[in-house]
Amino acid sequence: MDLAIYNSRRRRNVVATAASYGATGVGLAGLAMILIVLFWEGFSGLSLAVFTEMTPPPGSAGGLLNAIVGSILMTVIAIAIGTPIGMLAGTYLAEYGRHDKVSSVVRFINDILLSAPSIVVGLFIYEVMVVPMGHFSGIAGAVALSVIVIPVVVRTTEDMLMLVPNTLREAAASIGLPRSLMIRHIAYRAARSGIITGILLAVARISGETAPLLFTALNNQFYSHNLNAPMSSLPVVIFQFALSPYEDWQKLAWTGALIITISVLALSIIARALTGTRKAS
Amino acid sequence: MVDVTWGGARVGAQDATERAKALNKLRLGDVIFHAVTRSAALLVLLLLGGVMVALFLGSLPALTTFGFDFVTTQSWNPVTEKFGALAPIYGTLITSFIAMLIAVPFGLLIAMFLTELCPMWLRRPIGIAIELLAGIPSIIYGIWGLFVLAPFLQQYVQPALIATFGNVPVLSSLFAGPPYGIGVLTASLILAIMVLPFVTSISRDVFDAVPPVLKEAAYGLGCSTWEVMRYVVLPYTRVGVIGGVMLGLGRALGETMAVTFVIGNAHKISSSLLAPGTTISATIANEFTEAVGDLYTSSLIALGLILFVITFIVLAIARYMLLRIEKRVG
Amino acid sequence: MSIATALPTAVTGHPPVDPSSLRDKVAIRNLEFYYGQSKALKGITLPLYENKVTAFIGPSGCGKSTLLRVLNRMYDLYPNQHAEGQVQFDGINIVEPGLDLNLLRARIGMVFQKPTPFPMSIYENIAFGIRLYEKLSKRDLDQRVEQSLRRAALWDEVKDKLNANGLSLSGGQQQRLCIARTVAVRPEVILFDEPCSALDPISTAKIEELIFELKEDYTIVIVTHNMQQAARVSDYTAFMYLGELVEFGPTDKIFTSPTDRRTQDYITGRFG
Repeated sequence: MDLAIYNSRRRRNVVATAASYGATGVGLAGLAMILIVLFWEGFSGLSLAVFTEMTPPPGSAGGLLNAIVGSILMTVIAIAIGTPIGMLAGTYLAEYGRHDKVSSVVRFINDILLSAPSIVVGLFIYEVMVVPMGHFSGIAGAVALSVIVIPVVVRTTEDMLMLVPNTLREAAASIGLPRSLMIRHIAYRAARSGIITGILLAVARISGETAPLLFTALNNQFYSHNLNAPMSSLPVVIFQFALSPYEDWQKLAWTGALIITISVLALSIIARALTGTRKAS
Repeated sequence: MVDVTWGGARVGAQDATERAKALNKLRLGDVIFHAVTRSAALLVLLLLGGVMVALFLGSLPALTTFGFDFVTTQSWNPVTEKFGALAPIYGTLITSFIAMLIAVPFGLLIAMFLTELCPMWLRRPIGIAIELLAGIPSIIYGIWGLFVLAPFLQQYVQPALIATFGNVPVLSSLFAGPPYGIGVLTASLILAIMVLPFVTSISRDVFDAVPPVLKEAAYGLGCSTWEVMRYVVLPYTRVGVIGGVMLGLGRALGETMAVTFVIGNAHKISSSLLAPGTTISATIANEFTEAVGDLYTSSLIALGLILFVITFIVLAIARYMLLRIEKRVG
Repeated sequence: MSIATALPTAVTGHPPVDPSSLRDKVAIRNLEFYYGQSKALKGITLPLYENKVTAFIGPSGCGKSTLLRVLNRMYDLYPNQHAEGQVQFDGINIVEPGLDLNLLRARIGMVFQKPTPFPMSIYENIAFGIRLYEKLSKRDLDQRVEQSLRRAALWDEVKDKLNANGLSLSGGQQQRLCIARTVAVRPEVILFDEPCSALDPISTAKIEELIFELKEDYTIVIVTHNMQQAARVSDYTAFMYLGELVEFGPTDKIFTSPTDRRTQDYITGRFG
């Protein structure tokens, strides 16, 4: 055996392995640092006032109530619009058109929409809603968010229905069950937790989206639940406050960021737990 | 007919017509449900078409006024209404390029750690942590970049870079100028951190798709971990890795918030990575609501169209490649 | 008319014991089946006698399951599969297009290889199919559910937990639940696709006993890879090989004095 070759191979392996450990260490440390700073800065500003008071003018104390309410309102509406459309489209892909040409095109386009730049969605809704309506509005923001929800729900619905075993479909067919009843009463039921997971992930995805709201819902300094008027949202407030020179505002931006992060992490963990139990059973 | 002779447990002739009637009703429901789901699926196509058409119509004034100059000039002057998109296009490409240059090797090495080196009990927790981080909204990365990373770079890293490379021919211009903190390099770093979890989790999934027998065979020959990665795993998963990288690139190109905080918003192309710049999405985010005049607005929408076309191409290639490896795995 | 005259020579040489007492519930004539371009069934001609158990046996890949799945058009769920020829069932050719498949499948029920309870309660598993076709009062429905469960010899085991999830039952119980579900829709023919291959010997014995009882009311077809099972439960046996029907006749005849060399080889365990 040629020891020189062996040694050089071993050296190379040691270098590569060290690089791998190193990269993992640096990567995880970097990501951990972001969370640590976020929690540190965010918690120091957290108080009851954050949830009970409006966003303040510069230089005075206040909270994020209007932004939180706006975010929740727009998220709920976006989910209410996006989920049925996404589920139905995903159902078509998995159940009716699994093998046809149209489906493969829709699947491809949906995957593109899934990662399309969200700011472009904002521009789109600006063009088709804000311009015709003549003003910014909460409903435009919600619709923009729903455009982001749809591809997420389409994808998970299709994936989850694909996991439903074909034997179950055959069994349903074998007692003469029409297709639509099989889908609604059996396939949906079997895929339920997976589809709920997808919806939760969609909520997580849009609760931090800023770009599509910038020029659809805009912002509103005051409490408003009028969907026909500009509406405040957490991400947009964070954007505005963080870039401001006022320390109070910056503090609130950190706190808002913490609230969003905790909600997103909580949603993802619940979603994960749901699919986990489904796989276990 | 034979119906009359059937025993009690079976269906008589009258029952059979009842059944047919019941089924007729159900069949109508079937047809409706089919049509509804199909329209929902087609709506997805319509959505993409709608985005394309809306952006195209919105950008028509700018495109007809400036023509091809729009993408080749870099003056961006709202006062004289002269708009050229070269600076944001350049900024978008260069920040994404640098971000991928950093994130891809890191991501691949972490994926290698997760699939080959990491002790079994740690694999799931680390994998889950990385996937959770991939879901954190980009605005969080942006705010961290603005308040933590930028000051840090300004104080420690950038002066050192300027001092070190100040006399090296090419690099001196790359790292020239005062340390602003914010700028192209900072934006690239933030983007890199943001896409890292994404690239990592896709690479790990792709590496996991390598049939264990292949790896075992290589280890059986006496290959080292690195050699198994280099000569078995990477060649086998090349297409999938490229797909994952392109997907990450698509994200980086279209990313708005992480970049807008730290890029500096300067409409000029500077040779120095430390200088402020801008990207397409940052320009739109910063200026859209303040844009006065149709031409200004239209120019910003035209920027959006360009961004959409670029990301569309990148994402399409990514999906195509990931599809290919999925087919291979079966 | 009886189909015996159209049978291959191997079969016509040994006609059923008393052909006059038998009625063709289903008559298969010159059936061909294709997966895309490849032919999986070649010119199958075969009667399924009323109130008898017919077993399809043969080595794996011989087309026995494919043939079974033609009988309730299960293949229609998948693209690129089609059948040609005739399968006469009460005066209709079931492989013809334009047939109402749901109605057909309600009349020709099927029990699968693996138990396939729906993700709902035991009660709902049965009631679900009944409600499709009939509007019954709560009491009548309860009665029908009980009847069906009794028919499948499951009632005593589940009567106290009708609201439990169907998936909580044991494998053998799940399979009997599926039989009850099939029976509840009141079919005329029941197809069994290797119904015991996922079950333990005791559950298998219960299902076999059940099949024996069910033939009083139904025409039964069973696909099995287990020759002893075919010998135990069936009245008639069809031996298939490479997509062809090699031999068909009374079960004892097929197992004791088969005419075809290939049948003999298979039954004596020389291949398959």
